[in-house]
Amino acid sequence: MQREVHLSSQDLLRAMQFKEGDFARIAVLSGQSQRVSMALEKLENPMRNFSAFGYTFWTGEYKEMRVTVGNGGLYAPDAALVTELLCAGGVDYLIRLGSCGGMREEIKIGDYVLAEGALRGDGVTRYYVDDAFVPCADKVVSDKLEEGFKKVNRGVVWTTDALLKETKEFVNDAISRGAIAVDMVTSPFLTIAQIYKKKAAAMLVVSDNLITGEVGFANIRVFDAEKRMIDRTFDLIRVIDE
Amino acid sequence: MKVMFLQPPMGGWVTWGKHIAINVNHTQLAANLREWFPEIEIKVLDCRVLGINEKEMIDTIKEIEPDLVYMGDALQTTGAAAIHPRYKAAAGLIKQVLPEASICVGGFFYGANAAKLLEETAEFDFVISGETEITMPELAKELSKNDPDLPSVKGIAYRENGLVKLSEYRPLFENLDDLPLPAYDLFPMDRYLGFSYLKHYVETYHSRGCPNGCRFCVGWTNYDTRGKEDWIHYRIRSGKKVAEELELLVKKFGIKFVVMMDEDFNVYRPRMEELIEEMGHRKLKVPFFFMGRAPYHLRDRDLLKPLRERGFVCGLFGMEAIDKKTLESIKKGVKVDQVEEAVKLFRENDIMSVVTWMTGFPEDNEARIKDRLERIDKIDPDMIGLQIVTPLPGIPMYKEVEPYIKDWDLKKWDFQHAVVSTKYLSKEDLGRLSAWANREFYSRPGRIQRILYNKKYHPFSRLIAKSYVETADAHTRAAVNDEIFV
Repeated sequence: MQREVHLSSQDLLRAMQFKEGDFARIAVLSGQSQRVSMALEKLENPMRNFSAFGYTFWTGEYKEMRVTVGNGGLYAPDAALVTELLCAGGVDYLIRLGSCGGMREEIKIGDYVLAEGALRGDGVTRYYVDDAFVPCADKVVSDKLEEGFKKVNRGVVWTTDALLKETKEFVNDAISRGAIAVDMVTSPFLTIAQIYKKKAAAMLVVSDNLITGEVGFANIRVFDAEKRMIDRTFDLIRVIDE
Repeated sequence: MKVMFLQPPMGGWVTWGKHIAINVNHTQLAANLREWFPEIEIKVLDCRVLGINEKEMIDTIKEIEPDLVYMGDALQTTGAAAIHPRYKAAAGLIKQVLPEASICVGGFFYGANAAKLLEETAEFDFVISGETEITMPELAKELSKNDPDLPSVKGIAYRENGLVKLSEYRPLFENLDDLPLPAYDLFPMDRYLGFSYLKHYVETYHSRGCPNGCRFCVGWTNYDTRGKEDWIHYRIRSGKKVAEELELLVKKFGIKFVVMMDEDFNVYRPRMEELIEEMGHRKLKVPFFFMGRAPYHLRDRDLLKPLRERGFVCGLFGMEAIDKKTLESIKKGVKVDQVEEAVKLFRENDIMSVVTWMTGFPEDNEARIKDRLERIDKIDPDMIGLQIVTPLPGIPMYKEVEPYIKDWDLKKWDFQHAVVSTKYLSKEDLGRLSAWANREFYSRPGRIQRILYNKKYHPFSRLIAKSYVETADAHTRAAVNDEIFV
């Protein structure tokens, strides 16, 4: 018999033998596997919670605090799936450590962007919210996160599904609506956290710049910034839920 | 008699970042000359490290007025055969202002091709055939006489009545411990730079030859072909002497990082044991890097820990190819499993591994090269050094590869450019595939970060890795776009 929803987050969690308490209250998420590995190295006694669809989560301790780390998705659809599983699984604070393209000339490769909100250029969030919905980061968590970084560019992040269609037309439209950076994850990440009334923040390393055309996906400045981002975020973990 | 050791203005090997190393051939020859013929005045002009351009070089040379200018190198890493156009250009400029000055070249590339290169290069007066250690000082001494007897100097190509002649074969110098230590005091030791970031950097050269004699190896080109197998006649400075040299470098010249440029540093276990013991005895600890061979590392696995304690932070060993047929044809004498195990051993001992491999053998096609990369990827060294076969005359494989040479511009003969085709790949395809393979290796997520942020590795190893990664793009520009770097 056809159900209202074919699979819910609870159905999936049950199917993976997830039990309450497997996740910590705080989750640190990244899309790129090397960032996940670096975050995982921070944990003492990490225990794998589950693996599904290629996404794996571990929960361990960092300075006596329980923290969950894992792959938060590379693109909007998988980010939506993972974020919803985490929210349904009991995580209260979600911190995304990602990457983005700068959309202002002065935002350089290796800089940081702290998302205050997102422009929904993705396709997945319309299945969750209506067109008027505006995804926002939690201000308190974002403020705390910002304290650990010397210089951060705060603003709106445009989330797109079409990496190869970042045309002048689309880019300038996003800029005119306030975007300072582009990524492929933040919109569903913040949207779903808000739906579940969870506190979420997204810190992103700038890997390229859409205005200057600079590309730095394999640039040492980006690698160094990623490492610093993970180190500093973990330094702040203790104050996130105070 | 005034002799000048000249390193003209030039670039460097693209894969090593900003890399301005001391010339190990010059340091040794200057020492020999000073010890054996102290009446000869020695001058050193390293334009590369001093940042001197050609005009400033000529102004300086005019002021010094040397009787003999020597250029040469023992190592391929300065730029392989791409040094020759640089030396030739410098010689031409010198001849314009000091036509009476003699110009001699020797070492890598020249050693096996002395007469031919002298015939082709009017700007040179002498080319040393074979090892330079004794020949060059003896030539200088002979030239200081009123009526030099050039044929009496063994191991030189020279001109007589406009015709190029080759003097008698020069036998090898047997005991390197009998040579004085390199004359570092004559060189601007505080100026040299390695891998873009390593200051107070030095390269050393404690052996001659290599007993393995890989058929593609360009080390052969240091040697007179009349000696048949001079290259595989391996001679070493003892472990004690190496330690003595390292101590001098650290204590007198403030050296912070040493790269031993011996083609095969770890051939003899007793020498390695002696080095460990001597360094311990002298309480000497300095970060160092050497090129060795995987089977010897496996034989000496118990030595890796004490070596690491004394400063062995990064090591390079070669694999070159993976399939049995190619390995046999190039006479590599290494099994892939040995390389894989050596990488693991290095990692267990917190030593960064660099594995060299090659593309461009005559039988190479796209599938073979990609298969080679797959295997390298599985072996998973920290870094790779990918080189494209460059068939220098004098290597045993030369005749086999010569028909595939497509680009005779020696500025590109540096192992970073594709100058050959294969049976199945054009030169362009080979360059593109090589660039692809190099990029592909480093594109595995986390591979670079594993080194950059691994605190068990020495900070200098991490800087070397950083330099390699930063120059990956330049490797592509050389392999695909023929951009010149040396």
